Amino acid sequence: MFEFLSYSFVQRGLVAGTFVAVACALLGVFLVLKRLSLIGDGMSHVCLTGVAVALLTSTSPVYMSVPIVMVASAGIMKLTQKFKIYGDAAIGIVSAAGLSIGLLLTSLAGGFNTDLLGYLFGSILTVSFSETVLCAILLMVVLACLFAFYRYLVSACFDAPFAHTRGVPVQTVNTGLVMITSVAVVLAFKVVGIFLISALLIIPPVAALLISRTFKQVLVWASAFGALSVWAGIWISFVFNIPSGAAIILVSLIILLGAYTWSKLGGVNAR
Amino acid sequence: MPSVIKAENLRFAYTRVPVLEQVSFDVQMGDYVGIIGPNGGGKTTLLKLILGLEKGEGQISLFDTPLAQFKAWQKIGYLAQKSPVSQSRFPISAEEVVLMGLPNRCGSRPSVSELKQVHEAMQRTRTREYAGTIFHDLSIGQQQRVLLARAIVSNPQLLILDEPSTALDAQSREMFFDLLGELNKKHHVTILLITHDTGEVGKHISKFMYVDKTVIFFGTKKEFCHSEAVAKHLGPFAQHTIDHLHNHHGHCPLGEACEECAHDHPHLGGPHV
Repeated sequence: MFEFLSYSFVQRGLVAGTFVAVACALLGVFLVLKRLSLIGDGMSHVCLTGVAVALLTSTSPVYMSVPIVMVASAGIMKLTQKFKIYGDAAIGIVSAAGLSIGLLLTSLAGGFNTDLLGYLFGSILTVSFSETVLCAILLMVVLACLFAFYRYLVSACFDAPFAHTRGVPVQTVNTGLVMITSVAVVLAFKVVGIFLISALLIIPPVAALLISRTFKQVLVWASAFGALSVWAGIWISFVFNIPSGAAIILVSLIILLGAYTWSKLGGVNAR
Repeated sequence: MPSVIKAENLRFAYTRVPVLEQVSFDVQMGDYVGIIGPNGGGKTTLLKLILGLEKGEGQISLFDTPLAQFKAWQKIGYLAQKSPVSQSRFPISAEEVVLMGLPNRCGSRPSVSELKQVHEAMQRTRTREYAGTIFHDLSIGQQQRVLLARAIVSNPQLLILDEPSTALDAQSREMFFDLLGELNKKHHVTILLITHDTGEVGKHISKFMYVDKTVIFFGTKKEFCHSEAVAKHLGPFAQHTIDHLHNHHGHCPLGEACEECAHDHPHLGGPHV
């Protein structure tokens, strides 16, 4: 039943997937509460531009996408802050730009090929050793920021204007959150694919919010749900021979359904 | 008296039409200023400019320090018009919300002294019993009292409040304004308060600021009743009803000043209208 775990590429995929899923879940808690969760969707579409540029120039899609997605994220922030455009509209604009430029470059490169499809739908078993290390570094950075700046983050997330009057650099906190999310999104496209990245940022935190009473519980449950989705998703994809990215997200949706049912049947949020 | 807030030639516009212009005033230590004016007159914008939440033209100094260089935010308590989480269920207890009023630092666990300060502030606003309750699960009035505790937890020297009593019932409102009055009189906390509840607050405030695109009037209650600028803007009847007729108990909040006004303006019907 678990003989697939003996393969080193599976082990690597599991480890990298867990790191990315936990990092996305932790970041997602803040994004969901700040109503910025769709920023992951916008960033993931911009990933297509990064992947297309990488395929055109025969470079690493991951390393090529990181700066491109970061610039796009800065663009979303700028549109909302400087030009007073609503966040969802700014995400829509940047997302459309990323997708159209990506498609244009893909067409210039001679159309779709199997490499590109792997990025669109995820190919967790092709994660390299260096990418696994990158995933570990990402999770360590996220955890370090969380432990060091927990109160700043919660304060800026709960009530940004008041946090400003306590001397919290709200702008810097937001920028930092979005930039780290950019890296997480790029690393996540290997795990679940460009189309499903935002689900890793949204579904585990939403499920955790349904069953938690405290902020720390939300962080713990969201991380657990993210990791569980990856483990169960990979196992299901092996057993039933279905795409791993889709299996991971379907598991997280089942967890969400379970959390919702539990909250309605007498969980902490039952009213 | 030392200056707490000094504003010179403030101007602010969201679009091309200015919301505020030519705004200058000097709030001194111990002042209890009631900011009044019509909806859309720029009252909330003025508070946001003072707190650096909006950036406009002109100069603002807090405790004699230019706003851009001001770092001693623990000297200021702020309570906004709207509750921060009116729609979403933010998983945070009332106690944690009050803790946010203290200066932020690294780590997540509050120290013993921080918790002591939090509990004292909650005691003063009669919210201690909700300490462990999720903030979102409290009524709007209870949330507002918890937010007042957050505003005063750092023992600020300046309190800036934007229509804080809107969601409070009569009993809570009285407690709320009595607490503000006590902070002002006993602890010399300077208070800047936007309110439409002029009757209740009139018992405590020492100065009025009438804001309508600019500062029409800034001075004592007595001066307010005699101000030609206010009379020109509001008409003599409204000028006095702001202070007198809105008193729900039927007693004039101004005492001697009221008698003087009644003497000057007999059409108001005497001191206890």
